[in-house]
Amino acid sequence: MRTQVRCPNPMSQEDEPPSTLWGLDPIFSAFARLYIKDLLQIRESCQVPGIFFYNSHPIYKVDVLGTVVCKRERDDFFCYGVDDGTGVINCLCWKNEKWRESGDPPVAPRASAQSEPGLNALAELKKLREAQRRYSQLEIGETLRARGPMKTSRQQREVMASTFYKVNDPVMAEQIAWMMEVPDLYRKCYDKPFQLQANSTSGPTVGRVNRAAQILKDFLKEKTVTKFRPYDVLDLLQPLVCSLSQAKPGDQGPQKDPSAQAIVAGPSAGQQLRQLLKESLQVLQDQGAVYRKVKSQDELYHVTEQDKDLLIAVKDVIREDSKREKYAEKGCHVLHVLSAVRQRYSPNISKEALELVLRTLECNSDVISTTTNHYTMFS
Amino acid sequence: MLPAAAVAYFPWEINSGSLQEGESVRTFGRQVLLYYQPEESKATLTTRHASAQHKVIVHTLFVEPFNAIIGAQYMVLGEIENCEGGVVVRARVLNCVDGVNLALFQKAVNQQRSFFRESESKYCSALLC
Repeated sequence: MRTQVRCPNPMSQEDEPPSTLWGLDPIFSAFARLYIKDLLQIRESCQVPGIFFYNSHPIYKVDVLGTVVCKRERDDFFCYGVDDGTGVINCLCWKNEKWRESGDPPVAPRASAQSEPGLNALAELKKLREAQRRYSQLEIGETLRARGPMKTSRQQREVMASTFYKVNDPVMAEQIAWMMEVPDLYRKCYDKPFQLQANSTSGPTVGRVNRAAQILKDFLKEKTVTKFRPYDVLDLLQPLVCSLSQAKPGDQGPQKDPSAQAIVAGPSAGQQLRQLLKESLQVLQDQGAVYRKVKSQDELYHVTEQDKDLLIAVKDVIREDSKREKYAEKGCHVLHVLSAVRQRYSPNISKEALELVLRTLECNSDVISTTTNHYTMFS
Repeated sequence: MLPAAAVAYFPWEINSGSLQEGESVRTFGRQVLLYYQPEESKATLTTRHASAQHKVIVHTLFVEPFNAIIGAQYMVLGEIENCEGGVVVRARVLNCVDGVNLALFQKAVNQQRSFFRESESKYCSALLC
């Protein structure tokens, strides 16, 4: 059966991305669960040794699980050969400093500690160390999980385990779960090429709406407009739409037939302009900068800060209700003011608009905030 | 020097004759240690699959002494040896995995195989393009 013979990384001939972009790939900072076969085959970076590329994903740290098939012990580390059914890789597992010291048990405090019936910290520590030793010393045939960076030493790849432990897996549940998970990880992450998500689709339109909203806001402020209808300000946004439609034919190169251009351009400039105005007015409404006192056929917008009647209404609510015993101490809550203003003045006032009014009033020292949400007034 | 990777095979594939001498395998299945002959270092594992009984003979010299539990399920890693009596797996690892969910294990192996086939065909079609 030859199905296990995997082809080398299809992207191996492709140039590696510049190192400044590596961090943008989430796989770079994750422990990659690649098959050991792939770990042995993936190309090492020519810019930074110790970084590898699978399908143009930069791989730094890896995560392996498999059966220990060979073992070498040195003074300060174990070297385990780990087999996951696709390949075998060496895992270099350092012996813990404390782990080695535990060979000589502390003698002096032992006698006194034994007489105590309660928690024996030293004995507990010893037990912990023994458990640690048990989990870090493996025999052939046992299951090891190791994670850490990979490096090439003497033309051989090995995992420098930063964490490793013996997996207690008597009925192979862990290994089976791993086998089921890895193909999914490949399909969902590793085999998908990494592409930077530049907001190419939504970016320019959102930017344009915000710019349009800012133009309207600046105009309303400069001219101290109190109320307006959409057609009053339509012309202000004309330059935005013009620049957009002019940019288009330039991209497509010189065209001989101007009527053909109009067809490809999609919605007409007028439609675009009205759409843009609608969207930017919605933005201003969401911000609370403008509101519609009455929702009717006549699209009349009030500029919140310039609406003297609204300011007076809010002031009246706060002045009267701050006298009531219930609100005497802290003042009125924003939501209370909101419901009162909606009843007395206009049901269409948004919370954002009210907050804008309250900020304006506070700047003029008409009201005072006692907490972030409470306002009072001294009369 | 590291040994070759032990690739997973179903017990009914071991005796099919498609495996080369010395190939590393990892085999499993509803293997039941029928009888163990310590003097010959030979264990026989059997599996029932598709209404047929499949036998895998395991040479256990490298993994002795081991606790042979008659009737338990085992997982073996080793190399294929073609003897006159048929195929023998010379075990490097012999683990008792009694209680393993074999249906799930077979599913996992099949999923892994189909993933490899998938990526192989993708690679081949990429080469042709």
